[in-house]
Amino acid sequence: MRIEFTQALHHILENDPRSVFISGDLGFKAFEKIQEAFGKRFLNAGVAEQNMVGLGAGFSYTGLRPWLYSIVPFITLRCLEQIRNDICLHNLPVHIVGNGGGYTYGIMGGTHHALEDLGILKGLPNMTLFFPCENNQVEAHVQNIQRTLSPTYLRLAISGFQSSMPVLEENPETLTRHYNRGSKITLIGMGHALQLLIPTLEILKSSGVNPDLFGISKFPFQLEKDLALTESVRKTGKVLVVEEHYKTGGMGESLQASLEMAVPFKILAPYYFRGQRYGSPRFHLGQCRMDPENIAMQILEFIKSENEASHHET
Amino acid sequence: MTELSKIAKKIRVQLIQMHYKANSGHISSGLSCVEILAYLHKEWLTPNDCFILSKGHGASALYATLWAIGVLTDKDLATYYQDGTLLSAHPAPLAFSAIPFATGSLGHGLPIATGIAYANQIFHENGNRTACLVSDGECNEGSTWEAALFAGHHKLENLTVIIDSNGLQGFGSTKDVLNTEPLVKKWEAFGFAVQELDGHDFSQLNSAFKSQIPGKPSCLIARTHKGKGVSFMQDQMSWHYLPLTKELYEKAMSELESQS
Repeated sequence: MRIEFTQALHHILENDPRSVFISGDLGFKAFEKIQEAFGKRFLNAGVAEQNMVGLGAGFSYTGLRPWLYSIVPFITLRCLEQIRNDICLHNLPVHIVGNGGGYTYGIMGGTHHALEDLGILKGLPNMTLFFPCENNQVEAHVQNIQRTLSPTYLRLAISGFQSSMPVLEENPETLTRHYNRGSKITLIGMGHALQLLIPTLEILKSSGVNPDLFGISKFPFQLEKDLALTESVRKTGKVLVVEEHYKTGGMGESLQASLEMAVPFKILAPYYFRGQRYGSPRFHLGQCRMDPENIAMQILEFIKSENEASHHET
Repeated sequence: MTELSKIAKKIRVQLIQMHYKANSGHISSGLSCVEILAYLHKEWLTPNDCFILSKGHGASALYATLWAIGVLTDKDLATYYQDGTLLSAHPAPLAFSAIPFATGSLGHGLPIATGIAYANQIFHENGNRTACLVSDGECNEGSTWEAALFAGHHKLENLTVIIDSNGLQGFGSTKDVLNTEPLVKKWEAFGFAVQELDGHDFSQLNSAFKSQIPGKPSCLIARTHKGKGVSFMQDQMSWHYLPLTKELYEKAMSELESQS
């Protein structure tokens, strides 16, 4: 997603002289063109993320539109209080961009993984979270962020299961995507975890299950505007969310709390365990039973157990 | 008695009254920076300049100063520390244009001030100046030094940092808790033009603020006394926290009134 982000950002900087890009000493083979094209509007603030967020607040106070970029944990957890106090409490349009959502940084190790960021940021006042499902959605996210005159966080990621499929429909405001029409269950990929569900979908179809498949990528949710999604939940009566984020505090929990209907709801998410090993993003997902085969199996079990439960009730 | 000394006295009297009515602490932290705030707001800041109180626990002194120069009213100050106020113990966000940022957690003000200064010097090229008041205890915070490094590196000559060096912090003297001295050498090493002065002496403040060196950010190490102006509070750590009893309030007021 970084390439798509760079292209979209280039477009923003070309068209909005107030916009400034601040990097926390990252960008090798990524931001050279921006640095060259925009001169002082590209600023390397050094390895000092707390200061970087304060700088962003100060820039914004003078009327600039700063975009702050680093690896997710460095630009979120390290400087969380600066994000809350300096940016969010003052409702400043400062745009935080974290690269490496979920297990993107795989073998780099646990310090580089980002499995708590959305949960930690979602409660901050005035904050809007953006977590694109696929590379081809990044441009729409960046444009949406540019129109948001308040604090934002953009979570860029690389999926362990890179694949894409045609989108049936995308809500330009909520950025929710509808990928497949089905009936047995409402399946939701949160952000780039959606990509994991694309191979899963094929396995499910070969097992005779055709799910309704959506990708959610913006928080706070605006479910009143995502009518296809809420109608799907009403119709299938079952929801299963997959996310590359710890379950506690994740988007799945928030979605469950936001739905007005009480329906069977399951969340598949990574978890931390003592003795875990390190490898590619795909390896990490597999370690948490989040490969397509295991996910498909858990979906089928969920459908079966809920069907049995409802059969017992009748 | 000079005009500025009269204003400083007025601020101290108001500050003591505010704290007594509110039964609130942080009195001595405010008293140490009265002259600095009075000088900044009366002599130095223009409408285009910006002031950030990074030591947010000195808020009452800032409120009293803004009152003394006519920005806040008696009615505003009467709400201090009361339910429903915008004058909380530490500055609130989006409350008054003269207080652009909420502070209170230490180490936040200087990065913000540095951002404002950088934007004005490098992008807007407007000559607007930024001042930031930092406590000496706040020099324990890594983020303060991140900002100092950045300001020095980018030669932000429109930035003035004032250290309210009263020698006491939350639970001990700065010397004993986490010694930040030698402050002059440290700030110089970070690329600042540094001056050391008596932070209660207006002529020294005037001279320091007016002799800033082009091409470098400035740092004024203002040596001050916590609780300045009230004998039983001066240089006593306990008055970082204690509220005033009626007897001590009267004693403080009597001392302040008798000062020329």
